[in-house]
Amino acid sequence: MRLESLRLQLLCWLLLPLAALMALNVWTSFRQAHATADLVTDRTLDAAARAIAEDVRVDRGVIDAVVPPVALEMFDTGHRDRVYYRVDTASGRLLIGYPDLPVPGIGLTEGTLAQFTATYRDEPLRLAALRYPIVGATDNERVVVVVGVTLAGHEAMVREQWVGNAGRQVLLLVAAAILVLIGLQRGLAPLMRLRDAVLEKSRDDLTPLPDTAIQSELRPLVVALNGYMARVTGQMAAQRRFVANAAHQLRTPLALLATQATFARRAADGAERDQALAGVEASTRSLARLAAQLLTLSRAEPGGRRPRDEAIDLVASARQVLEGLADFAVERGIDLGLDVLGPATTPGDGPMVREAIVNLVDNALRYTPAGGSVTVTVGSQGDLAVLVVEDSGPGIPPEERERVFERFYRMAGAPGDGSGIGLSIVREVVDGAGGELLLSQSNMGGLKAEMHLPLDSATADAKRPGSPPAVA
Amino acid sequence: MRLLLVEDNLELADWLAKILRRDNFVVDVLHDGEAADQALSLEAYDLVILDLTLPGMNGIQLLRRVRARGDAVPVIILTANASLDGRVAGLDEGADDYLAKPFDVEELEARIRVQLRRSARRPDPVLTCGTLAFDTNTRQFQLQDAPLALTPREHAVLEALLVKTGQTVSKTQLSQTIFGLDDLADPSAIEIYVHRLRRKLEGSDVHIVTLRGLGYLLRHAT
Repeated sequence: MRLESLRLQLLCWLLLPLAALMALNVWTSFRQAHATADLVTDRTLDAAARAIAEDVRVDRGVIDAVVPPVALEMFDTGHRDRVYYRVDTASGRLLIGYPDLPVPGIGLTEGTLAQFTATYRDEPLRLAALRYPIVGATDNERVVVVVGVTLAGHEAMVREQWVGNAGRQVLLLVAAAILVLIGLQRGLAPLMRLRDAVLEKSRDDLTPLPDTAIQSELRPLVVALNGYMARVTGQMAAQRRFVANAAHQLRTPLALLATQATFARRAADGAERDQALAGVEASTRSLARLAAQLLTLSRAEPGGRRPRDEAIDLVASARQVLEGLADFAVERGIDLGLDVLGPATTPGDGPMVREAIVNLVDNALRYTPAGGSVTVTVGSQGDLAVLVVEDSGPGIPPEERERVFERFYRMAGAPGDGSGIGLSIVREVVDGAGGELLLSQSNMGGLKAEMHLPLDSATADAKRPGSPPAVA
Repeated sequence: MRLLLVEDNLELADWLAKILRRDNFVVDVLHDGEAADQALSLEAYDLVILDLTLPGMNGIQLLRRVRARGDAVPVIILTANASLDGRVAGLDEGADDYLAKPFDVEELEARIRVQLRRSARRPDPVLTCGTLAFDTNTRQFQLQDAPLALTPREHAVLEALLVKTGQTVSKTQLSQTIFGLDDLADPSAIEIYVHRLRRKLEGSDVHIVTLRGLGYLLRHAT
């Protein structure tokens, strides 16, 4: 059985063994009471048997047994016990008493008493038998005296002894239970106070609980709870910063949109209006792109999305991305190419990895002047899947290469429509996949962005037999 | 009136300048703090529209430097940071007004007019000289109650003269007012604009007087 209540569990653990011990105690005292009653009864039987045996006389050659009243009065304990007796000669002649009273089956030795029990007239009896020399007998004649008594007095004595004892034990158990309950209540009070402290906190109160003046067993719990709340607070602060930043980033493009709309409204002629409206359309597109990027970034953040584990074919992903961006490249007059050096599969989240490639290539296309070229190379290197995007654009000076990963950071003089979060997205995705993103100077003159991702085990095994690195 | 627009978003700067030029302002556009600082120390502007997030020197730093030079040019801050703290910081550093993006172009224009009026210490939005009137709200000239059609350059020259009615305005001052940084500043061209303006003002009670070696003067002839 599962007990949900800690209090009940503790109570069970304390009281069940205690109750078992007490039951054992009661049982022992019951046995003890029986033994005592047996002893008392046996002594009385013994005395009675001796009294009877000593009163057997030989009168003029005739053995005569009389039962002295004192022998029977001994049994009068107020429980109306019946006493049975018989006196026989050793040779088997009944002198006096109940002829059908059982006699001990075994032979009796001189002077010693034999105790036994038997059922007589449907009642259990305790009996004693005594073989005794006859006073005044000339020959070696003996008598055998058997005295039996019903057990009412015996049982009363047992009851008297152990019922009182058992009652005390039960009282003790009840007292122990009450004390344990009080102790538990007091002992668990700090836990209850902690529970109340946690419950009392309002929904957005994540300040740590006080971890002083608290039991040493509870401190780790409070510390863990506080640590958890600190992590949640951190996450929430990051989210708030992100939302504030995102809202902030939308303001300038919106101002541009509003300005273009005003210009269109005031336009002197149709051509001017068309020009302004084309600007409005372009701004709307770049706002939509910014919104999509913000969404991607919030998903790429740790905890932003349940990670998917699939084997991603980087070659297919790159091809898919490049096909999607081909129009944009043509429009910008840039030669966009894919160079496959070998298969490369990486475990991870397919859509996010594709999003990262989109952002790398899109960045390259955006910052490379018309007539330039952008090349994407895919392959594997050791146990890494490698995707490289190179362009013939202006590149990023070494001192700026770390800063460009900062969200919304834009280099001085960068053309107008970049949002400043493309590379942040790429870095979040690559970090999330356990990879690395490196920026360097390309041989083509511009930026070389290398995405190093862990190689999927299947691909790694396939290429292991002595094949040289596919990407130098 | 010559304005300096400092805004790092090229497109926003471009479109805003288009609108302001249509309002007959001479507009210079710069995209970073360093260049703006240089321009402000060399050229005379009537007003600066300043974005705070700029590459290089940011808007607040630029503002601090301008004010440290003792330059009292009116500055309207234009920024994406709409928080109260940002607003207070901007105003504390010596900005005259503050407008959060995204903004209404109309509101920006109204605030520009307020600042220009305030810097000229003239509460009346209409400047007059005889029968020549210039409404700083509509930015239109009227002569003898009829609209006066002027090219942007003529407009700039006449406005500069009207603002300083009765005072001599040097050729250098005029050329600073009417030529932007991208224009080929040719002082002799001013003579042409003055000549054309005189023709348009002919028959009215307003004259442009030439003071040789000094400059020009707008006078109400009684």
